[in-house]
Amino acid sequence: MKKYLTILCLICCAHISVFAQQIIFTPQWTPQSQFAGYYAALELGFYAQEGLDVSIVHPTSSYSSMNMLLDGSANIITSELIPAITASEGGLKLVNLLQTTQHSTLVLLSRKKDVTAMPQLSGCRIGTWKAGFSEVPHIIDNLYKLDIEWIQFFNPLNLYISGAIDATLAKSYNEQIQFSMSGITPGSVLKFSDMGFDYPEDGLYVTEEFFIKNPELCRKFAQASRKGWEWVRNNRKEALDIVMNYVKSEKVATNIYNQKFMLDKILEVQGDVKGGVPSYTLKEESFNKLNDMLIQYGYISKPVEYKRFVGGEL
Amino acid sequence: MKIIKILNPNKSISGRLMVKVLIVSALIFTLTFTLFLRMAANKMREEAADHAHSELSNTIHQIDAILHAVEIAVENTAWIVPYNLHAPETLYGITETLIKNNDFICGSAIAFEPDYYSSEGRYFSPYSYRAKNGKIRSRQLGTGTYDYHYMDWYQIPKLLNSPYWSEPYYDDGGGDMMMTTYSKPLYDANGKLYAILTADLSLEWLTDLVGDIKAFDNSYNLMVSRNASYIAHPNRSLILNETIFSTTYGNNEESLTKLKDDILNCRAGQVLRNMNGSKFFVFYSPVETTQWNVAIVCPRSELYKGVRTLRGMLIILGFIALLLLIALSYNGIRRVVAPIEDFSDVAKTIATGNFDAQLPSISSQDELKELHDSFKHLQHSLVEYIEELKSTTARRERIDSELRIAHAIQMGMIPKSFPAFPDRDDVSLSARLVPAREVGGDLYDFFLQDDKLYFIIGDVSGKGVPASLVMAVTCRMFRSVASHLSNPQDIVSSLNDSLAEGNDANMFCTAFLGILDLATGHLKYCNAGHNAPLIIAPDGKVAPLNVVPNLALGVFEGFPYEGQETVLDSQMMLYMYTDGVTEAENHNKELLGDNKLVSLLEKSGSQDTGELIDITFEEINNHAKGAQQSDDITVMCLKYCK
Repeated sequence: MKKYLTILCLICCAHISVFAQQIIFTPQWTPQSQFAGYYAALELGFYAQEGLDVSIVHPTSSYSSMNMLLDGSANIITSELIPAITASEGGLKLVNLLQTTQHSTLVLLSRKKDVTAMPQLSGCRIGTWKAGFSEVPHIIDNLYKLDIEWIQFFNPLNLYISGAIDATLAKSYNEQIQFSMSGITPGSVLKFSDMGFDYPEDGLYVTEEFFIKNPELCRKFAQASRKGWEWVRNNRKEALDIVMNYVKSEKVATNIYNQKFMLDKILEVQGDVKGGVPSYTLKEESFNKLNDMLIQYGYISKPVEYKRFVGGEL
Repeated sequence: MKIIKILNPNKSISGRLMVKVLIVSALIFTLTFTLFLRMAANKMREEAADHAHSELSNTIHQIDAILHAVEIAVENTAWIVPYNLHAPETLYGITETLIKNNDFICGSAIAFEPDYYSSEGRYFSPYSYRAKNGKIRSRQLGTGTYDYHYMDWYQIPKLLNSPYWSEPYYDDGGGDMMMTTYSKPLYDANGKLYAILTADLSLEWLTDLVGDIKAFDNSYNLMVSRNASYIAHPNRSLILNETIFSTTYGNNEESLTKLKDDILNCRAGQVLRNMNGSKFFVFYSPVETTQWNVAIVCPRSELYKGVRTLRGMLIILGFIALLLLIALSYNGIRRVVAPIEDFSDVAKTIATGNFDAQLPSISSQDELKELHDSFKHLQHSLVEYIEELKSTTARRERIDSELRIAHAIQMGMIPKSFPAFPDRDDVSLSARLVPAREVGGDLYDFFLQDDKLYFIIGDVSGKGVPASLVMAVTCRMFRSVASHLSNPQDIVSSLNDSLAEGNDANMFCTAFLGILDLATGHLKYCNAGHNAPLIIAPDGKVAPLNVVPNLALGVFEGFPYEGQETVLDSQMMLYMYTDGVTEAENHNKELLGDNKLVSLLEKSGSQDTGELIDITFEEINNHAKGAQQSDDITVMCLKYCK
């Protein structure tokens, strides 16, 4: 009996590999818990079950996932919502397949104490990712003419410790935890979500062109990815083990404690209400609010249509 | 038996003293040992800290020496660069020479600002490195996927305008090893930065150097960068992956806060940390050049090994000292307490009546000597007291005997057979006198003469023997005077004059005297300062007899007493009493009172003189409730029956 089952499994696997469609998926950063759902979907065979042959290729700190989508070295990427919308201005039309986080995790860590608003940091050197993620702080800088000297970085930790910058942008699930684990207690922490900029962040994207050609593939990829995230939500410990395997294979300097707190934070902001059950969909209201802000501050010249953005009219 | 008594603190002073001495001694021992051990522990910790910091200092000097060598090599190379700027390809020679001349440098770059050479594009960074086979290779470092302008080793010295040692990092390009980079900003004649000259230093030796420190038997050593990442640790998997605060995320312990402050502010120090359920001392000291910290982690138990041995010895010594103390204090206390037991025995002998019992001999001049003298004095006093007591008792017995006789005589002077006139049906008379002491000053008397009833009731001032003598005199005089006179006021005047004459003691006697004509019911009477008698009508109504108060007998010789008259109807009763009735007290000093007496007589409804007297005394007893009688009590009641 066991022998027959083994043969049956081999036939199934062969069937999958013969008809599987090859996809290169690129998350927006080096391996970490932020992408646990995709790792789980791959490792647990959720993509394979959908007939997809997925390879995960990470970007480098100086060559982003968006660059890789542009040059064709990646088919599906993750990105934050703002750069995904603003990409249209450069001619890159993207389609949102899945919205994995619904809230802003952007914070500002300042050496200066008792900072309650960005204008208090006027004229300071503030670190910002070279890869982006900083549109809202830049809008505030321009709006209030704060004359901030933005220092681009791959990682702000040593810049901050050395005193080369006065403050830095950070993600609450990543750099803020790194700071704490390095024994650093910032003088002030500003949360942009508390300042009226609580916009959705991470999502799954393809180009419109790819979406039009492969609608079924995109649906299957999104479906399997969602399944991966749902598994992670219910199996955090096992999910962490998977993440750590990726971390080790890419020689990322991190540890399981850092990744655990990152995963907890990411899962918290996936819910429509923080800590609630996620819908994995991009809400039209949130999208339009962000669209309006980007037009108002000149990041895009004309609004991006919601229905088209989520692949509804393609 | 004696030992059992001593061991029972409730029954023996020795036991109590022993327990107190033991408790106090044990407390003093414990306190002293604790203080001593604490001081010893502090001293050991200080010495251990000195030793640890000395070891750390040696290691840090070695690290510093290597780091300084790199800094000097870079400084000595930097001046050549400007002379080769016109020929970019010659710059590779500079980096190659730097590596060739310094074995400890494994890589070097001259990383230019973006677009410094228009011909080279945005990225131009001649880079040489020591390959795994030991040969020196060169290549251009910057590419679109390796934008060195944002690397810490480039960006931080550029922003700080000063040389910079990068935090250690894992180099996966050259030799798969942990490295640090020393970066020196290069400026042109106008002071404008144009490149960063670097030298890479492999840190593989660092783990061995730090691991070689042998400060304590079971200690281990580690090193952390400024961002608290491990760069040397016995568990190599932690290196560059974990920080010393990874496992304490969200923990705000005081020791952690101090550790964070010290590391960030480049200060040497020590903290006591709880790790995996055990306590460890962490001694740390910074490498000034890079602000990395080298630390020695030592189990607290290891550090206090000597204190534990010392504590064991002190416990044994303390135990022996306590045993010695018990033995010595037992003897000392016994010597003090033994005479007290002897005195106790003497006291028991004295209690049996042997006042001459031999006292224990005391040679000291302390409290025991005072006790001895007190006992001696007690013996003398007791002998004297007993003699006096015997004499007093004999005297008292004689007086008591005399008083008993006097009581019998006094009681014999008043009529006590009732009904008084059993053969007559026209009058009924009853009386009772209860003295407060053996003899008293109340009196009553009566006799029949010529069908007339002469009667008197009185109360002599004071109590006891003097009053009884006046009572006796009054009674005798009433009998002798009344038989010759027919008017009560004459009899009273005669009694008054006799008592007043030679009355040096100022004694007096209140009295009510009456003569009842039994044939007619005509009553003549005279009151001498006595309570007004009560008339009890046949229907039970009680009312006081109208009396002129006059003066008591014996007060004023020749006083003109006024007599009064009335007629008693048949069945009418005359109730006479002394103030002992209405002034009878209970324990609360409350008097029986006139009203209560009147009320009692009215309620009783009795027409029998004897019964009325019984009821009166019963009420007095009920009111007094066992309180001692303070005054003589006399009641006399007559009923006219014709």
